Parts: sequence; C-alpha cells; structure tokens
Amino acid sequence: MGIMGRRGIAAMVVAAALLATGCSGQDDSGQQQQAAGPASLTFWTWAPNMDKVVALWNQQNPDIKVTVNKQDGGDPAVTKLLTATKAGSGAPDVMQAEYQKIPTLVAADALADISKNLDPSVAKAFPEAVWNSVSLGSDAVYAVPQDTGPMVFYYREDVFKSLGLQAPKTWADYAAAARKVHQSDPKKYLGTFSAADAGWFSGLAQQAGASWWGVNGQSWSVDIDSDATRKVADFWGGLVEEGVIGNKPMYTPAWNAGLNNGTQVGWVSAVWGPGVLEANAAKTVGKWKMAPLPQWDAAKEATGNWGGSATAVTSQSKHQAQAAKFSAWLNTDPEAVKALAQISGVYPAATAGQTEALTSPPKFFANQPDFYQTVAKAATTVAPFTYGPNVNVAYNTYNDAFGKAADAKKKSAFLTALTTMQASTVKDLTDSGFTVAK
Amino acid sequence: MTEVLTQPAPPVALLRATNPPKRRQTSPLATIVLLAGALYCLLPVVWVLVASTKSGGELFSTFTFAPGTSLADNVGDLTAYRGGLFWRWMLNTVLYAGGGAALSVIVSAMAGFALAKYSFPGKSAIFNMLLAGVLVPGVILAIPQYLLLAQVGLTNTYWSVLLPSIISPYGIYLARIYAAAAVPDEVIEAARTDGAGAARTFVDVVLPMMRPGLVTIFLFQFVAIWNNFLLPYIMLGNDHLFPLTVGLNGLLNQGAAQPALYTLVITGSLLSILPLTALFLSLQRYWQTDLGAGAVKA
Amino acid sequence: MTATHRRRGPRKLAPYVFLTPAILLFAGFMAAPIGYAVYLSFRATKVTGLGLGKGARREVWAGLANYRRSLADPEFVHSVGRVGLYGLLLVPVMMGLALLFALVLDSGRARGGAFSRTSIFLPYAVPAVIASLLWGFLYLPDVSPFAYLAGQLGLPSPELMSSRYILFAVANIALWGGVGFNMIVLYTSLRAIPSELSEAARLDGATERQIALRVKVPIIAPSLIMTFVFSLIATLQVFAEPTTLRPLTNNISTTWTPLMKVYRDAFTRDDVYSAAATSVVIALATLVLSFGFLRLVGRRAFGQEA
Repeated sequence: MGIMGRRGIAAMVVAAALLATGCSGQDDSGQQQQAAGPASLTFWTWAPNMDKVVALWNQQNPDIKVTVNKQDGGDPAVTKLLTATKAGSGAPDVMQAEYQKIPTLVAADALADISKNLDPSVAKAFPEAVWNSVSLGSDAVYAVPQDTGPMVFYYREDVFKSLGLQAPKTWADYAAAARKVHQSDPKKYLGTFSAADAGWFSGLAQQAGASWWGVNGQSWSVDIDSDATRKVADFWGGLVEEGVIGNKPMYTPAWNAGLNNGTQVGWVSAVWGPGVLEANAAKTVGKWKMAPLPQWDAAKEATGNWGGSATAVTSQSKHQAQAAKFSAWLNTDPEAVKALAQISGVYPAATAGQTEALTSPPKFFANQPDFYQTVAKAATTVAPFTYGPNVNVAYNTYNDAFGKAADAKKKSAFLTALTTMQASTVKDLTDSGFTVAK
Repeated sequence: MTEVLTQPAPPVALLRATNPPKRRQTSPLATIVLLAGALYCLLPVVWVLVASTKSGGELFSTFTFAPGTSLADNVGDLTAYRGGLFWRWMLNTVLYAGGGAALSVIVSAMAGFALAKYSFPGKSAIFNMLLAGVLVPGVILAIPQYLLLAQVGLTNTYWSVLLPSIISPYGIYLARIYAAAAVPDEVIEAARTDGAGAARTFVDVVLPMMRPGLVTIFLFQFVAIWNNFLLPYIMLGNDHLFPLTVGLNGLLNQGAAQPALYTLVITGSLLSILPLTALFLSLQRYWQTDLGAGAVKA
Repeated sequence: MTATHRRRGPRKLAPYVFLTPAILLFAGFMAAPIGYAVYLSFRATKVTGLGLGKGARREVWAGLANYRRSLADPEFVHSVGRVGLYGLLLVPVMMGLALLFALVLDSGRARGGAFSRTSIFLPYAVPAVIASLLWGFLYLPDVSPFAYLAGQLGLPSPELMSSRYILFAVANIALWGGVGFNMIVLYTSLRAIPSELSEAARLDGATERQIALRVKVPIIAPSLIMTFVFSLIATLQVFAEPTTLRPLTNNISTTWTPLMKVYRDAFTRDDVYSAAATSVVIALATLVLSFGFLRLVGRRAFGQEA
C-alpha cells in the first residue's frame, strides 16, 4: 500500500508540474476580462487582522467589495461551510480552508473549480508541492494557497547553555537532550506529546516520509499505519513511557504556565510559533532560539507542515469569477502578500513572498536575525504528503486513540493507537462508498 | 405524568411563597452547612474576579489567588479588541436573551392561560405534545433547525437565533401552573360580565395577576437562551451577530497557530457574569419556580 | 371552570387563538426539526469512486442501517454506561445537597441565610461553557490552588483530570451549576407549607430534624420528584461541560457522552445521518426513562389521586 501511495503522489506532482509548465506561456489578460462586473463578496477567515488586508483590496477595487467574517478557526469554519453546503444556502463566497480540509470540502462539493477563472501564471507563484494540495493532482483548482507552516524546533537557549546542550540535529539528539533536561529537574520537560493536535503529529509523520492517503487510479489508499508513521509513534511513545517527555496536550493553561515558568524547555512547532510564544510567555523574550526540526537522517533534510491554509471559492458563490480574482490577488499580489505577512502575521505560501515580504525576524526573535532565512531553507525540504477525503475522521480518531495511549504512557499503546487510526479511517471510507485500494 | 402535572395548583403555593422564614434560635451547625455551600459556590467566581486583574504573564506565573494590577488594562484590551466587538456581543446577548425571553413570556402566558382556564377539545393532547418538547435536547434540534432555516435563507441572521428561542415548553408549563393558581375564575367571570372580550380580559386582568410568575418565566428563559451555546454557534457565521458565549469561545479556540486569548476570555467572562448576576439579585424575590406546585396538596 | 365558558360564539375559539403562537412556533422550531431528524436518520450518502467533483456523492435511503450502526457502536455503548454512572453519582448528591440547603434555609436557624442562599444560587447565572472554563483552570495542576495547597501541606498534587477522577471533575461542574437552582425550587415549595403544620409538630415535642423529615419532606415530595426528573434529563444530556474540558486532558474522548457522539458525527465527521439516528435513540431513551420514573413514583406519591 505504501508504494501505491507514493506512486499516486508522484503522478500528482507530475500532473501539477505539467499543468504549470504547459500553461506558463500565456499572459495575464484573461483574468481581468473574466472577473468583470460589480459584486459584493463575503470572506470567512480566521487569520488575525484580515479585515485590514482586505481593506487594501476594497480601496483598489470599489466594485468588488469584500466583507470579512472572522471565524473561530479552521475546524468550526469548515463545519459551518459543510452544513451550509448541505442546506443549499448560507455559505460565503470566499473561504479560508486548511490544506488538509480541501479534499473533504471538494468531496462534499463545497468548493468551486476556479481553474477557468485563474490566470495560469498564478500556479507558478507557489512551490509545486503546495500547489498540488489545492489542485489535488488534477486539472482543477480548488483554492489559491495562502500560507504554509513548515515545522521547526524552538528551545530555551539559556537552559540549553546551562546544561551544555546544543540544538538537536537528529531525533536521537532530541531524545538525549530530553533525558538530560528532565534529569536536571524532574519538573522540566523538553516537550510534550499532544494527543489534541493531530496536525502536529501528521506533520511529524510527513517529515518521516509518510503520506497518509494516496490516489491510485479511481481509488483511494490509506497508509496511516505505515513504517514511517510507526517510527514516529514508537519514538514519542518511548519518550513518554520513559517519562522524559510530557503527555499532556498543548494549548492548555498548564502548558502556558510551563512556557512561562521555564518547565517547557522546548517546543516542536512551526514557523508561526513566535506569535503563540509572545502571547503566552511574553516575559521569556530573548531566551528562545529557533532551529530546523531534528532529522531522522541528517544527510537527507526534511520537514513537515503543521497548519497552512488556502483561499477557496465556494460552490454556492454567485460571483465565482470575482471571488477567484480576489483570491489570486490576496495571495500573489506583492502588496497583498506583504500585508498578509506583516499585518496578518501568516507565513505566505507564495515563494516570492517568503523572501521579499519577510526581511526582518519576528519581534519575539529579534535575537535571531536570520530567522526567516532558516525557515525559507526548511520550507524547501517539506516532504510530499497527500490528504484524503476523510481527514476529519482520521484526526478525530487520533485525538481519542492517542489520548488513551498518552494517558497509559505505554509505547505499545502508541502503536495500537496507530492501528486504530488506520482501521477507522479505512472503515469510514468504505462505509461511505469510496473505492479503497487494499 | 400527565395526571401529576395537570392537577390544578392551589393558590396557597404562590401566596405564601414570599413570606420570609420565621426567625428561630440560630444553630451553628446550620450556619456552617450553608456557609460551606456558599464558599463552594463562590470559589470559582472569586477566582475569575482575581484572575481578571492579572496580566497575561501574571496569569500563569503568580499564585492563583494573588491579585494582579491589570484589571483596567484587561478591560481596555477587551474593549479595543477588533473595535469594541466584545460590547457588540454584549448587546447581542441582551437582544437574544432579553428579547427572546420577553417574547417567550408573552407566548407562554397566552398558551398557559388557555390551557389553565379553558376547556376545549384537544386540550390535553396539545398540552402533552408541548410538554414532550421539554425532553428534546438542543443538540439534537440544532442541526435540523439549521437545515430548515437555511431553506428560507434565515441562517446567519438575528432571527435564526431569536425565533427558535421563543418557544419554551417549560415556560408554557410554568405559565399554566401560575395561571391556574393566581387567576381565580370569578375574576375572569366578572370581567366578562362587564363586557370585556377575551383579549381584553387577558391583557387587563390576567397578565397583571400572573406578573410574579411571568417574571420567573422570563428569568428562566433568559438563562436558557444565554446558556444555549450550540444554536448561535451553528447558526451564525458573522461574528458581529455573536452572543457573548460564542464570542468568548472563539477567543479561546483560535486554532493552533493563534494563541488563546486567556486574559481577554477571563475578563470577558467576568464582565458577562456581572450583569446577569445583577439582574438576578434585583429580581430575586420573584424567583419562585415551584416545579411541583401543580401537585402540592394544601 | 368549564361552566363559565359554555357560551357559544367567538369564545369557543378564544383558547385556540391564545395557543396559536405557541403551536406555530412549536411546529416550526421543534416538531418540524424533529420530524426532519427522523427522516435524516433513515438516509445516508453514497459516494462513487474517488468522490471528488460534482455528482460523486448522492443521498440514498438507508433503512435502519444508521440505527444498527449507532446501537452496535462500542463507543456509544461506553458513553451510555459512563453517563449512567455519572447520573448515579451526580443526581443523588445534587438533590441531597439541594434539599439539605433548602431545609436548613427554611428552618430559619442559620445566620446569614440570605447571603448563603444568594451565593449558592449565583452559579446558575454562569453559562456552562464559562463555568467549565473556570473549573478547568482550577483543576490543572500547574495553575490550580488545590495543587498549591497540597504542595504546601507536603502532599502529592491531585491530578483532578486523570482517568480516575475525570468523572468526578465533570460532575462537580454540573453540581456547582445546578445545586442552587434546585435548592431555590425546593425552598419555594417549603415556604408554601402552612406554618401551622410545623408548629403543631413542634408542640407535640418533635425535633427540627423530625419535623423536616416527617412533615416537610413528604409534603414537598412532588417538587422533589419534578426537580429529580428535570435533573435526570439534564444529566442524560450532559454536553457542554465535558466538551469545554476536553482540550485540557487526554481523558475525555470525543464520544465521552452520547450527545458528544452526536455532535462529533454531525459536525466533526459530517455524517448528519448517523447523528440523527443516535439523536432519535437518545430522545426515546430520555422519554422512556422520565415517564417510567414518574409512573413508578407517581403510583406511590399520588396513589390516592390516581
């Protein structure tokens, strides 16, 4: 199954590449013609200060007025969009959607294929792997990439120094550092295994070379319980069983307290981490450092994504051309991308944006001037990963199964949890009638 | 169940309800029991009071019950959040809970009065049907309510939250008890002989007599709407229409890439509990939900 | 009563007119959604192939398949067992405390009764979502005052949200929010008892405790029963508290209670059909339980009237 999955991705990447090169010769005049006519659009998004970014658009495009409706976050917004799609009304025109939700939304017929409304040059603005997650390897385009979340590692430089530790290059180094930190003070942990954050775990699996879904002709394959993911589960299960890594979820008041009082010494996270650290542990400014994610194979650098989203046009929108025009502007126009990065604080998906819009480090990491250069380098090593149409089921099973495993603090329980995830994801697909390759 | 509930209530249940208890010799044990209960119930309230005085850093670094000095800053931050959105949520809550409860009182009073004071074909069938509604949890109703309201294009509007909140089987049940207990037949008969129509009698005679009971229904429904998280959560996409609970929940669950805004949530919780507490304290003497009054025997 | 309304004409219509708004709203916002939920519970979507693109997904008749799946799901069975245990724990404690507080208040023998009464009632004004958030903070070892106290006393800090205590932790929030309301209801009933009854018992040499148990409690039995039933219904519908606590602990799954499973199926898994089937099962079970209970105690408490 693993091989089929890999082959599927390869096919998709090739398809996307062909699409990109095959169309690169055209100019961008078509876009304006198709997006003619005044319209009033609603935009569901949870990115902070998006209304200020959109104000730029409204200034320049008085006949296509975009209104921002701030959402609670990726999950609630998708829930609402799916419900609205089922009901036949109530959806916005434009919608921020996390990459892993796009296959689900496409399967529910919630998103419009905007390939005809987009200038082909739009595709070239993004890395292939990212574009692939909005085209799903087909000729269709279901969204324009907005931001990505390459994973990196944050650690307390002061604590590391006092213990004579270096930023871990490999996961073995990470484990050794975790032991040393915990030995120095039983209250201190280098990190925690969070059963609440499926996106975090799937990012780590992605780094290890896993791809949980795959397309093989007209059928899906599910490859969650693969060697690569087992390696990751085994690693974290081992550290939790040993007791040198915490087993409580992230994003709790207790975790915040840990960041503040220095008992959480490190955080395996993503490029957007500084915002969270600044809001939750402002006092610790200047004590943190960012490093690339520890590697499984130091010679073959890779990382995963945690978070990241795209701007999609809904199937219910009556102004799909205008909505597509706006989506393309938001994520490729230099001024817009700069505003996204600096006002809204997201890490833009557009290749140019990553270097041009982010020239100085985040405020919280003023001590690390090359912050974004390091991230940009890591971003080029993001491993390919395909999401399936029932990511919600897989993630939901992750929460429940790994919650149990983390509470049991047994390595074997982590591997059982993975088997549970695989089984329930396959069962859900089969129950719904999807063709699943065995 | 129906036999139990349909017993006419004796007026005594209402008339005596406001008598203060007679003072007797106090007992330390009785005082301690109640104070222990009070302490338990006040603990989290005191906590939120203290926590809302702390800055974001202090919240996670100082002792739980050690007060901070940032209350004014926190309220300022909350007010500044997206151009005073919090206060908009407050107003929305007043509209949903206050407006919904007021309309609910009118609907319940009319229905309760009809059920208590008229005899007509289908009466017990209607009453039982309405009563069965008490048993249906909101979680179950929310999805089909959304799907149906979407058919008429009402989702993501004030109406989508307000309209479903007006019907309260429990309010009707209480209104029926109060009408039976507080409105003597003779008074209605007297109004009628004076030539007043049914509507006139209801507005001029019945409603004033039911007033204490109606305040109870108002409070009860107010809390029920204010507590119903799921309905507005599902119905509303535009956060300018949110009530407080949904808005605060949003501040707490921002998704992984955004930090939870704990200080704002805590300060917001405090500010949202305060007006309701004030409302309760000022209307406390009306609070007399006598669930069993329908069957109490004098 | 009937005698006064025997005249012909518009008067016959009056009760229906008074009931019209209630019936219309009931039909639109309760009956129709319930009917629709029942309809959905017999439906399902079927996907073909990859399921991408238009028309790959259609709604089909599913018969009883959703019900079979719902009832056979071990997670559902577990959640029912868990809520049963939760109810056995919560309802008696809540009713017992509410009755105790009400009786003590009614005896008029406590100092500061008004203060205590108001304080105990206060949590009723706090929505479950906010209440759970506050208690969540008080439970987490790193921010909890209980852990701090235990630390000062040299005791190990209690893991209040560990798998052993989580049921108590959730029940505590419901207890906190519900005891005051029930207390006020019972207290109101107690105030309605003619004082002559207690005075007579007192003259006969009965102690306050005996008066409370032998005179007052039997008289307010109907109120007790109704509050019990409403508490039971609320218990079976527990949802907001565990949902709010869930992100803080590994020990609350997304199917921890039956309604959480409904929510998960409908919103996380986008399967309103299974959710509708489970909803119907829960609604029926609630109906059977509450009517069954009322019938059981009704026979005894109101035997003379039946």
